[in-house]
Amino acid sequence: MSRPGRDDAPDRLYTLTGGRSRSGPDNPFDLVTLVVAECDPVPGMQSEHAAILRLTERPTAVVEIAAVLKLPVSITRILLCDLQAAGRVSARHPRKAAVPDPDILEQVLVGLRNL
Amino acid sequence: MTSPLLPGDRPTPRSLLPVPLLTAAVSAAGVLAALLLVPDAAIGSVIVVGAAAAVLLCAAAATAAYAVLSARAARARLESVTQDVGRLLQERSRLTEESRRQHERLTGELTRERARLSTELDRERAHLAEALAAERDRLNEEHVSAIARLTQEHADECARLTDAHTAELTRAAERHAEELRRVLAQHADDAARLTLQHTAEHDRLEDERARLAQEEARLGAENTRLTVRLREADSARAAALAATANAAGRMQALSTGMLADLRAMEEKHHDEEVLADLLHLDHRTAQAGRLADSVAVLTGARSGRRWARPIAMESILRGAMGRISGYQRVRVHSASDTAVAGHAAEGVMHALAELLDNAANFSPPSAEVHVYVEEVPAGVIVSVEDSGLVMGEAQLRRAERAVSGESAELGGLTGTRLGLGVVGRLARRYGLRVSYRPSARGGTGVLMLVPQDILVTPDAPTPSPSPASAGMPSVPASPAALVEAEAAAALPRRGDDGRTETGRTRTGRPEPETGHVTARGDAGQAPADGVTCPGSALSYAASRAGADLDPDPVPTHESAGRDSDAPPLVLPRRSRGRTLAEAERTRPSGRTGTPRPAPTAEETKARTARFSSFRQAVRPPTPDDTADPDSGTTPEPTPETQPTPTTPEGDTTS
Repeated sequence: MSRPGRDDAPDRLYTLTGGRSRSGPDNPFDLVTLVVAECDPVPGMQSEHAAILRLTERPTAVVEIAAVLKLPVSITRILLCDLQAAGRVSARHPRKAAVPDPDILEQVLVGLRNL
Repeated sequence: MTSPLLPGDRPTPRSLLPVPLLTAAVSAAGVLAALLLVPDAAIGSVIVVGAAAAVLLCAAAATAAYAVLSARAARARLESVTQDVGRLLQERSRLTEESRRQHERLTGELTRERARLSTELDRERAHLAEALAAERDRLNEEHVSAIARLTQEHADECARLTDAHTAELTRAAERHAEELRRVLAQHADDAARLTLQHTAEHDRLEDERARLAQEEARLGAENTRLTVRLREADSARAAALAATANAAGRMQALSTGMLADLRAMEEKHHDEEVLADLLHLDHRTAQAGRLADSVAVLTGARSGRRWARPIAMESILRGAMGRISGYQRVRVHSASDTAVAGHAAEGVMHALAELLDNAANFSPPSAEVHVYVEEVPAGVIVSVEDSGLVMGEAQLRRAERAVSGESAELGGLTGTRLGLGVVGRLARRYGLRVSYRPSARGGTGVLMLVPQDILVTPDAPTPSPSPASAGMPSVPASPAALVEAEAAAALPRRGDDGRTETGRTRTGRPEPETGHVTARGDAGQAPADGVTCPGSALSYAASRAGADLDPDPVPTHESAGRDSDAPPLVLPRRSRGRTLAEAERTRPSGRTGTPRPAPTAEETKARTARFSSFRQAVRPPTPDDTADPDSGTTPEPTPETQPTPTTPEGDTTS
């Protein structure tokens, strides 16, 4: 599914999730959870699901998926919950050390801007 | 008669015997004398010759004797025969005489008999002639008497009939005269009466005519008045339609803008409660937008948005679902990868939304509505099946007529039939074919055939190993999409287009998004604009991109086509973005996929988007850290790089 612009696709967000706006309380996906596909996309699948499965052939973070799909993270999380419930993806939590300190990142960003 | 050969007619041998014997004796004497006379030496030969001559003499004597005898016998016989002949001649003469006498006797008898018979016949004939004459006289007399009698009778009868006829004629004449007098009298009465009546009627009709003339004058005045009123009503109707179309266009623009705003807010707020509320508002706004679209279609205005690229069938279906209230009951079964051409996508979506809304509204609140997509040679058939009320025959016919789009009149519309009228208009405009049938689910099934000429079969998306490019649009690979992108980019340059004017009027407003498209069009733009940085502290109005109101959204992939002819970079920090991209690319991570000599615009942009999302996610938004440096400092973009914020208003009012 191509979502090249911000609002140049006619489908609304609630139609992607069937009207749900909340993922379950015990969903394993936080922003940096790595998602791995467990199967290949099949025809007739919702296009976002297919895109997620193609994207997560290698472990990919939730935020990265959301950015590529250009969807809000909450919506992405609901889609991922659906896929996980169907056994099509699995979640891996990264080690703590892999997550850099946000302050460092912010400083990096500011430094990059100031270049 | 004498027999021809009597036994005594032939000489018997006995009678012949003395002649030879005598001869023999003479001959012997001669021989003996010879012997005596001749010498001895010749005796022998004399004997022999003598003997032989003696024999021969004997034979001749015998023969002569025989002939004399035979002649004597024949003479005798001739004499007897001559006597017989005389006798016979006498006999014959006697017989002839006798026969002549007989003949004479018989002839006399015959003559006598004939005379007798003739006499008798004459007598008889005379007798018969007499009888006949008598009979004829008698019959003649009888005939004359009968004729006389019949003549008499005929005369009597004639006289009698003539009398009767005369009497009858007299009576009829009298009767007729009487009748004639009576009828004449009656006719005179009637004529007098009718004349009176006619005169009265004539007077009455004269009055009536005068009255009608007055009426005609009055009606003429009325007609003139009504014509004037009709003209006024027509112009009022046209004005009302135009005003409605205008209002609908504004409402469309508003709802389109609101939808874009809501989408932006949905990107910005991550609280699930807020997101739920925003989605709710989004849904309501989408329905309001559909209503505005319906009004616009019915008033003849252009339908809401025009998409610059083909819209996939899945998005068409979801876009249609998103505009109805009961979208959660709609189940889509589609594996089609066709797309609808951009100019027709909005119409197809709208028609489908109306059909879905009908199906959802006229089925029980718990029942599902199923949508099936099937590709056929003529196009794509979208069937909507509900399990609700079965339409009656008359309803079915009315619905078929409404969706056929045959009549473009607004007269038959009611509040509840609005949707079908809209479908009819759209079907007529885009060549859709809609038909109804009973559904196997118990309700009503609607088939909508999207014709092939507004369908686009997208190229098969090439699966890319790189996650960065996996999310990239496959549409830019399509040449048609590129052409459309070029056309969209060239739009503002058209001086004759009213929409360009609209775009220019908008440039007067402080719009930080004027650099937005430029930023999107550039490969190395820092993630610092309101779109890709929802967490920024920009005000809501400031973060509204011009493209949000754009009914013709410019797809990002147009940047690929505009890279070459892009104006000089308005931001002096382009190299920074490239540096960032380089840094990202050279990061020791296998995720970037196969190394490339230079990142394409899409690649770098996707990375930028990813990075901004990441930053936004790991840090709570603070109002001052990401004040968009571009928002206030962006120089006025050249018109070529302006977004094309054309709105339906510009089209419906122009």
